[in-house]
Amino acid sequence: MKEKIGSALIVGAGISGIRSALDLAEMNYHVILIDRAPHIGGTLRQLDRQFPDDHCGMCKMLPLVDRDAASQYCLRKGLFHENIDIMLSTDLVSLEGEPGRFQATLRFKPSLVDPGRCMGCGECARVCPVEIPDEFNAGLTLRKAVYLPVPHNIPNHYVVDEAACIRCGECQKVCPTEAIDLKLESRRAFRILVVDDELVVRDSIKEWLEDEGFSVDMAESGVEAVEKLGKREYGLMLLDVKMPGMDGVQVLKAARDMRPELPVMMMTAYATVETAVEAIKMGARDYLMKPFDIEKLVSIVVQYYQDTESIPERRVDVGAVILAAGFESSDAGLVKDTYGYGQLPNVVTSIEFERLLSGTGPSQGKLLRPADGRPAEKIAWLQCVGSRNLHLNADYCSSICCMYSIKEALLAKKHNGGNVDASIFYMDMRTFGKDFQRYRDRAQQEHGVKFIRSRVHSVEPGASNGSLSIVYSDPAGTVCQEEFDMVVLATGQKAPRGTSALAEVAGVELNPWGFCRVSDFSLTRTSRDGVFVSGSFSGLRDVSESLIQAGSASLCASALLHSKGGELAEVAHERYPVREVSREMPLTALAVCSCGEILERAAGLSGIVETLQKAGLVSEVFRFDRLCTRSDWEDLRKKTESTRCNRVLIGACLPYVYGKKLKELSRSAGLATSLMDVVDIRTPAFPGLDGDKRSVSRHILTAIEMALARLRGVDSLSPVHTEVIRKALVVGGGIAGMTAALAIADHGFHVDLVERSPQLGGNLRTLHRTIEGSSPRDLLERTLSRIEKHPLLTVHMNARVVHSQGRVGRFLTTLEKEDGRGEAIEHGVCILATGGKEAAPRSYCYGDSEAIVTQHELEGMFREGVLDPSRLGIVAMIQCVDSREEGRNYCSRVCCVSALKNALYLKERNPDTDVYILYRDMMTYGFLETYYTQARRAGVIFIRYDLEDRPAVEVIDGRLKVSVLDTVLGRQIILEPGLLVLSTGIVPAEHVREAEVFGLSINEDGFLMEAESKWRPVDFMRQGVFLCGLAHSPRSITESIAMAEAAAQRALGLLCRRELPIGSTVAEVRQSLCSLCERCIAACPYGARWRNEEEDRIEVDQPACQGCGSCAAVCPNGASVILGFRDQQILAVIDAALEQVGG
Amino acid sequence: MSTNEPNTNASPPGTRGADAMQTLAGRLSACMQCGTCTGSCANSESMDITPRHLWRLVQLGLKDCIFDSATFWICSSCYYCTLRCPRGLPLTDAMGELKRIAVAEGLFRDRTSPLFYRTFLDTVRRYGRVREMEVMARYFLALRSPAVSAGFTPLGIKLLMKGKIKPRIPGMSGRGKLGPIYDKVREMEARS
Repeated sequence: MKEKIGSALIVGAGISGIRSALDLAEMNYHVILIDRAPHIGGTLRQLDRQFPDDHCGMCKMLPLVDRDAASQYCLRKGLFHENIDIMLSTDLVSLEGEPGRFQATLRFKPSLVDPGRCMGCGECARVCPVEIPDEFNAGLTLRKAVYLPVPHNIPNHYVVDEAACIRCGECQKVCPTEAIDLKLESRRAFRILVVDDELVVRDSIKEWLEDEGFSVDMAESGVEAVEKLGKREYGLMLLDVKMPGMDGVQVLKAARDMRPELPVMMMTAYATVETAVEAIKMGARDYLMKPFDIEKLVSIVVQYYQDTESIPERRVDVGAVILAAGFESSDAGLVKDTYGYGQLPNVVTSIEFERLLSGTGPSQGKLLRPADGRPAEKIAWLQCVGSRNLHLNADYCSSICCMYSIKEALLAKKHNGGNVDASIFYMDMRTFGKDFQRYRDRAQQEHGVKFIRSRVHSVEPGASNGSLSIVYSDPAGTVCQEEFDMVVLATGQKAPRGTSALAEVAGVELNPWGFCRVSDFSLTRTSRDGVFVSGSFSGLRDVSESLIQAGSASLCASALLHSKGGELAEVAHERYPVREVSREMPLTALAVCSCGEILERAAGLSGIVETLQKAGLVSEVFRFDRLCTRSDWEDLRKKTESTRCNRVLIGACLPYVYGKKLKELSRSAGLATSLMDVVDIRTPAFPGLDGDKRSVSRHILTAIEMALARLRGVDSLSPVHTEVIRKALVVGGGIAGMTAALAIADHGFHVDLVERSPQLGGNLRTLHRTIEGSSPRDLLERTLSRIEKHPLLTVHMNARVVHSQGRVGRFLTTLEKEDGRGEAIEHGVCILATGGKEAAPRSYCYGDSEAIVTQHELEGMFREGVLDPSRLGIVAMIQCVDSREEGRNYCSRVCCVSALKNALYLKERNPDTDVYILYRDMMTYGFLETYYTQARRAGVIFIRYDLEDRPAVEVIDGRLKVSVLDTVLGRQIILEPGLLVLSTGIVPAEHVREAEVFGLSINEDGFLMEAESKWRPVDFMRQGVFLCGLAHSPRSITESIAMAEAAAQRALGLLCRRELPIGSTVAEVRQSLCSLCERCIAACPYGARWRNEEEDRIEVDQPACQGCGSCAAVCPNGASVILGFRDQQILAVIDAALEQVGG
Repeated sequence: MSTNEPNTNASPPGTRGADAMQTLAGRLSACMQCGTCTGSCANSESMDITPRHLWRLVQLGLKDCIFDSATFWICSSCYYCTLRCPRGLPLTDAMGELKRIAVAEGLFRDRTSPLFYRTFLDTVRRYGRVREMEVMARYFLALRSPAVSAGFTPLGIKLLMKGKIKPRIPGMSGRGKLGPIYDKVREMEARS
């Protein structure tokens, strides 16, 4: 019988890793989330604000369904989830086994600070004498060798940067909890034998290594070396190759006999490299070339030392692996010779600029120049630094820089009250995402950001102190010079360091640019089965696309786990009996932990407890020395089982780690979790804060009293459980709808797929091939045959959705069939994939000549074989037809690629065909850029036009004449093409009806509006309804598939439960006070309230309610209350904070 | 394709000039008109059209406009554009190629630049090094334009005063030794 392994490993805890982890955790799989860095959050921890709303919003990723399973606070600070084990400073070192049953080995980098003891007091950093640039602020500030990787993390433990540490031992001495162990002793115990006939070599190596804390012995000849090896144990031998008498190779032989396990490293001059290589074959580990680079030598020795140290390794069994190792900013230093980065302090990278704008940054959010602290008033952004550059093997577009530069320009303006002159120097402004074009237009028209189409070649010091001079050629060819206060380099992305090693360990292939290679029609499947990729690790993407891809990766992983028998868990929310206490007097049991002796000493804990008892605030007190230990916890569990109290308050440290523990306690004590709380009594006693015993004691007393007041007022909740109808409805039978339906059905749930036309397939039927050369037709056939065979799929052809009622988990939707018959379908979730289609052109004489066609029509001609490419003289293509201007002001994202694909196809079939592409900005984002380069190389001529000077098309006696102004030449070019192809873009399908039926909004371009463009791209505000594909915005086949998988994943998060759990903080209506004004309905951002017309009352959909409190704030009568935050309760807490028992 | 100006002196297809122009256009086809070359060019102020403009003409095959311009003659081969081009295109080489084609086909509007290049190279061939006084004397003679020669007089006097050029003719140890290189180049060019 197969053992079930319902767990997954996720490598990389950036946002895509977190998203994938949360997705799988919500399905109740166990997730191990590792990251090489000592923090979670990846790059996002450094970025405070994202467009389009210029806020953060990372917390919107937190679970909406089983909210209590995860911590509910700022995700930038930390994440706790019952089903996620986060392991930081951890690497994946091997991955064996097969899909569904992998054995992964994880290696932890010892941090030298025990996170169990470190309480973040900062004494160590105060005494540390080392100062080095701080990565968190992108090197703009300094930090110590013992430091906090992210200043606002919870919990926040110090770590030692071993490379920077000079092992002075000061931190170890001052640490009040003895959390730091620099392991000076074990370094000293690591003895190294240096064998070289030259004294100067021996001496300098000895000095370097002793500075690092190692013990070093020297031998000046082979004979002496062998002698010493006989007498003592050594951890490592550094051995010269060429020595008089007994040479290195002979010593090596002797050493192999005497101590076969001793690592030997050869030292060699250039002349004897071959001998050194020979030596490696004989068992030496490595060789070092003279003259030595100190840092390299030391780092190698430290590596050997760490290998011998018992580095904790852990083997875990996982069913699937997701690689989310992210990206790295391309090195601005590579282009420093022309942009002055590193030499001119006012030239910063985009990450540095984000830090300058941040409140936790070097200037507390004031926009000041790094060089002199003066306000930056004139700023230039230079695009494509490290991207679209063949010199740097970067024939790709980094996809995100255009948008973040616009955002940064707007933020800069906001920071300085609009007094910032912002210029963006670019080649193509790639505003290819949903609403990107309008964001750009607003920046230009409303906020005055200047967009200058020119690639700047260099930055030089300007005339005044600290200013920077830029020389560039404007589009007309005039060479201009301008001075700026600051220059921001929009650095692109590249594969992170260690990618090739990780790829080797995980057994996946990389693409030519060093990113993870993905399979056809997938953004997440790698070359190894069972290993998936998520986020920027497979190419460059922004937040929302990373999250879509993360959803797709977690779907693939959960499908694998499911198929291998790691069935969807459904046990987590089984109900257990709890005592009904609403009619009892509140009696509170207080459990306090004195943290050994510390709290007794620092605050007189006994006195505090006595005061509380005397005041009658607590009925029972349990005291513990270390509640964090298993035995004390068991003790508490027993005590609460037999207590008569109906409230439990725990006074301890780190309250956020108690989530799962409290549930355990709740079960054994038979008390609802809402009747228990944990209060932090440890932090006030941290050294470094106010050390006065009376004041510490007062702080702790107040904290306990406030928590007691809150707990007294808690009303025990008797939740109404919603049973989930475990079926899904998918509307739209294009590739997105079909993919989503199959994904859900593969997890064992029934799916109804509704398509309004007589056949499935949508746009896939009209496409000839993709630019990568794969066949959409094959994909269609594969998908159709799977749909036909799937036992859990019912397809409703020629049908439309006409009515739907119900809420998340329980919907009743009516379909109208072709013959007018209706059919009612019950379902728990719904996915809208209503699609879109190619827009019909309205301009450029479309319809006046058969030689004017759209890109789709051209593809149709290729497919049908009715076009002979060898007989076309000139082909012209016009991009952005009727789009990216008001009326349809968005980029359709696929047309540039379609044009390139068709142009390359024409050139391939007949290189003599002259192909002209008339474009505004080539939107070849990501690796698509390489096809742009290919097309140029193949001789396709690209002519850029401006909106003011758009091409003119005439049909004269059946012949076409296209004239366009070439901006570089400044003159009209006249083409007489045999074929004119119009790239018209994509318009959404007619889905007003569907949107109305499900109560969804549509944006001004007719696309369905998601809950949140960045963080919840596949959700609607209405819970239980999700979207994917062209209904959201234009995208390619592969992107539609990924989005469908992400939507299916979100839907499965609900379907995998029998009942929808309700959070402990939810809204309730006190009907006697309610005047039915319905303000709360308008205020609720989650659509969780409605008016029950039959009973004339306001109802709360508690599974959908997120407890945000908007309803309570707008209610004029105080009829809307948030459980756990009632007015009386909050007032009592405030009272407790202000007045104190016992003075 | 056509422009609003008639294309008068394009080489007939199949001739060497047309091939060379096509090869050159092929080598520059990846150019995306970003303008880095123009922004970098030390001499762009003296050029009648910018380097970016020139490459565009090459891409479009507008030979008459290309050789109507003096831009490629003004290139001083500093290689800035080649170094900085994000597409890694051989721009300086392309300037040289245009000079070669212009001389080979007699496509120049103004003979001063070709004359100067020829005089310069002849002197080098003859003596194995440059002799400034002689280059200039031969150049002025070849120009057959006393006005141009007279225009250089103040500059010449200034350079003489500062000792930048010397009236004394340097020794001629390398005389005639570069001849075989020149012959070989000519032979190679004839083949290509």
